[in-house]
This record gives sequence, C-alpha cells and structure tokens, in this order.
Amino acid sequence: MLEAPLVIEYPFNRTTGPVIGAFLTGLREQRVLGIRGVDGRVVCPPVEYDPQTSEPLTEMVEVGAEGTVTSWSRVTTPRDGQPLGGAHTLALIRLDGADTSMLHVVDGEVVTGDRVRIRWADEREGLITDIAAFEPVEGGV
Amino acid sequence: MSGNRVAVIGVGQTKYAAVRGDVSLAGLLREAVYRALADAHLGMDDIDAIVVGKAPDFFEGVMMPEGYLAEALGAVGKPLFRVHTAGSVGGSTAIVAAGHIQSGVHERVLTVGWEMQSCSEAMWALSFPLPFQQQLVAGAGGYFAPFIREYMRRSGAPDDIGILVALKDRLNALKNPYAHLHEPDVTYDSVKDSFMLWEPIRYSETCPSSDGAIALVLGGEAAAEASAASTGVSPAWIHGTSMRSEPAMASGRDQVSPQASQDCAADVFAQAGITDPRRQIDVVEMYVPFSWYEPMWLESLGFAEVGHGWKLTEDGATQMSGDLPVNCSGGVLSTNPIGASGMIRFGEAAMQVRGQAGDHQIEGARLALGHAYGGAAQFFAMWVVGSDKP
Repeated sequence: MLEAPLVIEYPFNRTTGPVIGAFLTGLREQRVLGIRGVDGRVVCPPVEYDPQTSEPLTEMVEVGAEGTVTSWSRVTTPRDGQPLGGAHTLALIRLDGADTSMLHVVDGEVVTGDRVRIRWADEREGLITDIAAFEPVEGGV
Repeated sequence: MSGNRVAVIGVGQTKYAAVRGDVSLAGLLREAVYRALADAHLGMDDIDAIVVGKAPDFFEGVMMPEGYLAEALGAVGKPLFRVHTAGSVGGSTAIVAAGHIQSGVHERVLTVGWEMQSCSEAMWALSFPLPFQQQLVAGAGGYFAPFIREYMRRSGAPDDIGILVALKDRLNALKNPYAHLHEPDVTYDSVKDSFMLWEPIRYSETCPSSDGAIALVLGGEAAAEASAASTGVSPAWIHGTSMRSEPAMASGRDQVSPQASQDCAADVFAQAGITDPRRQIDVVEMYVPFSWYEPMWLESLGFAEVGHGWKLTEDGATQMSGDLPVNCSGGVLSTNPIGASGMIRFGEAAMQVRGQAGDHQIEGARLALGHAYGGAAQFFAMWVVGSDKP
C-alpha cells in the first residue's frame, strides 16, 4: 500500500469593513467597542447588521475593561497551541455595558458570576490577541 | 418551462474591482442587495426566501458563509439556501431561486452571487500538489489551454480569433460602469503583444480576479405585474432554465464541446420555443473567461455550425453592432468575481430585455440567453429571458 502526505497551505486576507475594523482598531488603543442594536442592547464584539432586523448598525459604544463570567470551561491539561501555555479557563465574558458575552481566556480559576478584567498585551496590533487574557478581579462579587 | 411563471424584477450590482478594501464580505453583498431591492421597489421585508451561491469556500476561507451572512441578507426567520456548482454557480443559483417560485411555495425570492477574490489567489487555488500526480502549477487557464488548442486544430480558425474576442469584450466593458477592467487604450496590438500566459492564451485574453456581488429579485406573476406597475420597467420573464453536468474524467468526453453543454442548450431552447437561436435570440451573455471560449460555445450551443463559430467573431456578428451581440457588458473577460460571474450573465441578459443596460443596451432586445459554465468545463447553467410573458 502506497501512502503520501497531502498538505494544502493557502493564505487568506480579510477585509474587516467599518464595524469590525473599528473594534480591532479600538483594541490597539486599549478600548473595547460594542455596537447598539435596534432594541437598544449593546452587542460586543460588535456586528454590522442587527441580529433581529438586519438593519445596518452604526452606533459604536465603548464598554468596560471588566466584566462578568457567564459560563466557563477549565483546561487543566493544555495541548500545543492553546493559550497561556499552562492551565487556564475558557470563559464567556459579558463586559460591563455590554448585553452579550465574548469568548476569551482567563488566566486563573473562575466560575459563573465571577468578575474578570482585561490584561492587555504589551504590543498591540489590532487583533483579538491584543487582549492577552482576562484575570480574576480580587474581591469581586 | 413548467410550473408557475417567474420573472426578474430587480437587478443590483456592486462596482467590480481587484480589491474592495472598504467593505467586509457582508457589506459587499449588502450593496448589491440594496440596489436590487431598490430596482424592484421592494424592501427586505417583502422577500420570502433567499438563495445564495459562490465558488469553493476555500477561495475566501470562510466556511459555509451563508451562516455568517444571514443577518446581512435579511434572512432572519426566512429560508436561506446555498448552491454550489463551481464557476457555473451564479447561473445555477438563479435557477434554483426561480424554482422556489415555479413550485408555488414562494412569491418573491432574493438571490445573490459573489466572490471576494482579493481574499486569496483563486486563479492558482486548484493547482495544489496531489500525491502521485505531476504538479504542473498550471492554473485555471493552463487547464483550458489544451482544449482551446484542440478547437483551433479542428476548426482551422485563424490564430487571432482570441485577440478579436478579447478586444471586443474589453471595448464593450468601457460602456459598463460596473465592469472591473476599464482599458480605454486597448487595441488589437496591445492584446497581441501582451504576455503569452498559457499558449495560446495571452494575458489580455484572460479574465481578471475581481471582488464583487450581484443580486436579483425574482417574482411570481402577481409580484412581477405589481413591480412593473410600480417601476414602469417591464419584467424579464423566464422562458426556460436548464442545468447539466458531466464527469471531468469520463472516457470519450469531448472537452471542446461537452455533451452536457449541448444538452443544456437544446433543453433551454426547447423550453423557450426556440428553433433557430442565431435568428431568434437578440443578445447573449456567455461565460467566456478565456477569449477562445466565445467561438467554442457559439458552436456548442447551436449558434453556429460545428467548425464555423469563429467566423461569427471574425465577421463582427458578435459585436454590439452585429446580429448576435455577445457579452455587451464586457463579459467575464472584463469582470470575474467567480461565484457572481454566472449570475452576472443571467442578470445582464435580464437587463437587456428590460431595456436597463444603459450604454451597452441593444435596442429592442426582446429575447436573451444567459449562460454559465464551471469546473473542468463540466457544469452548465442557462436561462432564456424575454420581455414578453411566456
């Protein structure tokens, strides 16, 4: 039986458009931007079109650098390529001022309801990894 | 064509360009959708279902993009259907959308085709090395060049027919504000002297890589008549639709004039009651990504006797001033957002019979063919649209 590897490598570019572009630019400046939906709720990370009505959204809203864990999954034995290089928690985090949650990594053990805060990367380039991780807030509710 | 009557009642296109760096993929589609809805005097709430199509997902690296695009397409709470038939997909998608209405299930359907080729390098995307096969780095044109060489051998066509096609289409593109390539200085010699990319195909006989989207609004009979009353523009009634495909590697397959191509044309013309396409069809939008495909398809579709298609090109019959104008929009040779390219052919055919084609309008066009092909010249989609109700 003959075998041979087939490795397909194919680079891609992305055009972010005005809304995701503003979100990523904000991260570079240590600001997190959401967007106000037609029903008044703030979606973060922002979306270009309203999830219910499909109307284009334009009102960017800055949200807080702290938020509340809404659900989580503890990674005790990280595999190659996973963030932080050690045990960590993947969590859904609703930032203060936002009405939706974003998925990111928490450097520490947290459970639903815990408070977390952004730890910014030292060098930021307009990517989601400009948020190096979230950290538990001591004495949080 | 069986089932309920269907017509094109709105057409919307983006400006086509090498890079649309100012919009996201969703924003690009939205431009075309807005224009199509505005053309039909309708809003998103009036649409019953959405049918979308594009070329392979890895051309942009967005897997199953219809999910991410649902909100942008106004598909919340509505059926959203994805079609994929390689380069012919724009045509197939429009036909599937028409089927949603023919069946009697829906009355107003939005259909969208697109590609953002700036996300990758699709011309070479299909040339990855396969185990135990010679890696040719041929690209799409390299694949078709031998078929073209065989056509030239069989037909005895002069060497410069491809140049004439490319020159015609690039000059036609100057009359189409949405076309990607606008080359006012193009001449016979500039095409002839361009780089020989895949002999016998020169650089200027090759389609560009484009970003862009097209959207069509299709309506049933009641919707079409209401739209016509509101807009004052006659609908483009669909007189026939057909799709055919065949295996790329089938033994005995004729790659110059595939059986599926001939069968698809015969079917769509039979549905439309067309017995002499050269005489009865007023204008053709044909999928010609490499110049020589114009005479090849003219023969395969029955517009010319086998071996004589190139004479229509040489005599000027396919120019806008000729008796069978082909690709007045500038065609795929001037604009190629792959997943949209077939639907652009279908939409331009509709624009012609609606009298909406502006500077590239053929006066009095009443019956038009939209044509698309894809894969290894193995997937085919065609429709005939007319200004008269079938």
